[in-house]
Amino acid sequence: MSRFAGSSLRLALPLAAVLVFAVLLAFSLQRMFEVERGMRVEAEQNMLWVFHQSEVTVLRLIETVALAELGQTDPDELALRFDLLASRVALLNDGPQRRFLEHVGLDGDLDALVASLVRLAPSIETFTPAQGARLRQELTPLARFFGRAANTAMIAEWDELGGRLETYRDQLGQIILSLIGIMIAGGVLTITLFVSRHQSRQKNRMLRRERDFSGLLISSSGEGIIAIDSAGKCTLWNGAVSAILGVPAEQALGRAPASVAGFFDMSTIRQALSEALEGQTSILSFQPFFSPDSERPLYLDVSFFPMRNEAEIIGAIVFMHDASDKYAAQQKDAQDRDRLEELVAERTQELNNALKRERSAADLYRNFAAMVSHQFRTPLAVADSALQRLIRRGPHADIDEVAERAGRARNAISGLTRLVDSTLDAARLDAGQIGARRVQCDLADTIQTVCTSQCEGTQQRPIEITQETSGRHIAFCDPTHVEQVLANLLSNAVKYADPGTPVSVRLHSDTESLFCDVHNIAAPIPRHEQDQIFERNHRGANSIGVEGTGIGLFMARTLARMQDGEVSLLPYTDGVTFRMTLPRYTAGAS
Amino acid sequence: MLKRAIAAITCWLFFTGNAMADESDRILEITGLITDGSVTLDLRAVHDLPITTIETSTVVTDGIHSFTGFLMRDLLEEVQSTGETVTAIALNYYAVDIPITDFYDYDVVVAYEMDGETLTRDGKGPLWIVYPRDDYQALQDIRFDYRWVWQLYQIDIK
Repeated sequence: MSRFAGSSLRLALPLAAVLVFAVLLAFSLQRMFEVERGMRVEAEQNMLWVFHQSEVTVLRLIETVALAELGQTDPDELALRFDLLASRVALLNDGPQRRFLEHVGLDGDLDALVASLVRLAPSIETFTPAQGARLRQELTPLARFFGRAANTAMIAEWDELGGRLETYRDQLGQIILSLIGIMIAGGVLTITLFVSRHQSRQKNRMLRRERDFSGLLISSSGEGIIAIDSAGKCTLWNGAVSAILGVPAEQALGRAPASVAGFFDMSTIRQALSEALEGQTSILSFQPFFSPDSERPLYLDVSFFPMRNEAEIIGAIVFMHDASDKYAAQQKDAQDRDRLEELVAERTQELNNALKRERSAADLYRNFAAMVSHQFRTPLAVADSALQRLIRRGPHADIDEVAERAGRARNAISGLTRLVDSTLDAARLDAGQIGARRVQCDLADTIQTVCTSQCEGTQQRPIEITQETSGRHIAFCDPTHVEQVLANLLSNAVKYADPGTPVSVRLHSDTESLFCDVHNIAAPIPRHEQDQIFERNHRGANSIGVEGTGIGLFMARTLARMQDGEVSLLPYTDGVTFRMTLPRYTAGAS
Repeated sequence: MLKRAIAAITCWLFFTGNAMADESDRILEITGLITDGSVTLDLRAVHDLPITTIETSTVVTDGIHSFTGFLMRDLLEEVQSTGETVTAIALNYYAVDIPITDFYDYDVVVAYEMDGETLTRDGKGPLWIVYPRDDYQALQDIRFDYRWVWQLYQIDIK
C-alpha cells in the first residue's frame, strides 16, 4: 500500500510540474502576444510632429505675408503658403487626427480654425499690402493654437506612452515571473528525469544482472532445457540439449523442435509437447534417442511443463537428461531378478523333490514295520511249521516227505528273500542308486527266460507266450531291469488270476516301440483304484491275504520310465492287461 | 514607351523654351543621377506615363481609398536613373530618403488622383507617394509610413 502511495507521489510531482509548466507557458505567451500587439506604433501618435509642422506652416505664412507687405515676394508664394496651411488644417480635420483632437478636447478650436481659414481665403487671393497687418494679426492665434495643441499632444502622448510602458512593464514582469516559474517547473522536471533515469538505469542493471545470472544457470545446467513459445517455435536451446541431441542452438532457435530433431517427431513426445502447450504436465522416462554418431540409443528422461504468465499459457518448457546409465542399471536389475527367480524356482523344485523323497522315506519306514509284520511273518511261519513238522516226524519221515517239507520251507524262504530284495530295491531307488545301463536286448528271449523262471515257482499256472509280429524284437534297454519289470507283472498276473485260468504274454511292436502285454482273467480293477495302483505301498482291495509289499507296480513303472519306457494298465480289456512299452533299438541310439 | 516619354519631355522642353508662362504647370522636378541632369515634368507629361491604380488604407485617413497615378519605377526608368536612393522633397521642405529597392520590391505609386478626385495643393496634392500598405504586412510599419510624402514636388536621385 505504502509502495503504491509512493509510486503515485513520484508520478504526481512531475505531472504537477508539467501542468505548471504548460499553464505558465500559455500565460506568458498570451502576455507576450499582448505586448507584441501593443508595440505597433500608430501614426496618430505622431501628433506632436503634425502640430509642430502646422505651427511652422502658420509662421511661414505670417512671414510670407510680412514679406508681401514689403513687396519682397509674389502672390503665388503667398497662395502656396496659404494652400500648405489649408492642407495642414485639412489633415487635422481628417479621421484619426480629428479623433485625437476630440479626445483632447480641441475639436471646437479646430472648427473655429477651419471657419477662420474660409474667412481668410479671399484676403489671400486679393492681397494688398494694406491688409498685411490685419492678416498677420488674424493668423497669430492659429500659431498660438498649434503651439498649445503641440503642448497638449506632447503631454497626451507622453501620458499614453508612460501608461503603455507601464503596461508593458507589468506584462513583462508577469512574463518574467512566469519564466521563473517555468524554470522552476523545468528544474523539477529535470531533477525528476535524472532521478527516474538513475532509477531506471539501476533497475536495468539489476535486470541485466538477473538475466545474465539466469542465462548462466541455464547454460551451465547439466539438464537440457528447451523453451517453446505458443506458436511451437524454440526460443531457448541450452548447451546441454546441444550436447545430448547434437544440434547447435543456432540451428534450433526459431524453428519447431520436430523439424530440428527427429526425437521430437515421435508420437509420445509430440503429444506431450502439445499437451504442455494446453497446460498439462507430463514426465516421460527412458525415451530412446538414436543418435547418428552412436550405435546404441540414448535413453532420455523428458519432462514437459506449461509456461504460464498469470492465467495465460505462453509456451512450454522441456527438461531432459541422459538416463542411459539408469536405464542400463534397471535392465540389469530386471535380468538379475529373473535369474534369481529362476534359481529360486529351481531350488524350490529341488527342495520339493527332496521333501517328497523324505516324506516317501518316512512313509516307507513307517509302513516298513507293518509290512514286515504282515508279509514277512507269513513265509517265516510257513517255513517254521514245515521245519517243526520235520523235527516232530524225525526218523519217521520218509525221504519224500522230507523233500516236500524242506521244499515248502525253501519256497517260503525264497519268497521272503524276494520281499527283502524288492524292499531294498525300493530303498535304493529312493536313494537314487539305481541307474540304467541300456544295451540292445532281444525282448523275446528275455520274456522266455522270465516265464520259465516264473513257471518253476508256480507249476500249476500255465503261461502262454504269443509273438504277433515276426522278426527279432530288439529293444534298447537294461536287461536286468526289464527282467525285474516282467517278473513283477507276471507274478502279479499269476497272483490275482481267477483259479484255473491261464496267464498270457503277447509281444508285438510298431516302428518305434516294442509292446509286451501281460494278461490274466480276473476281476477288473475298480476305476478309482486304476491311478493309485502305481503308487508306492499301495495295495489294492483284492490284495488282502496275498503276499506283497505294494511296491511292485511302482518299481515296474519307475524302472521302465528310467529306460524311456512305460508300464500302463490297458483299459477296456477282458480281464486285466498290463503293458510294458520299450523303445526299439535303432542304429543311432547309444 | 520610353520613346513616347522622351517625346513628351522633348515636347515639354519645346514649350518651356517658347512660353515661360506655363511655369505653374510644372509639378515635379527630377534632379541627380539621371541622363539629362535635371528634368521638370508638367501635368501632361505626368499623365502620359502608364497609369496605375491601387487600393489601400492610409494612416492619416479613415477607410480604404483608390489611388491613381504612375509607378515610381516607371518614372525612374523613363529618366534613366542610375542612383540608389531617392530623396523625396515636399512643398513644405519635408524630405525623406527612400531606397530605390522599395520601388522594385513594391508597386509604389505616385498618385495624382484619390477616389477619382484630382489631388490639390490644399489637400495632399499635387502628387502623393502611396505604398500598397494593405497588401504587405511589412509595409504596415512607421518606418514605411514616413515615406508617404504628400505635396511632392522634387525628387533628387543619389
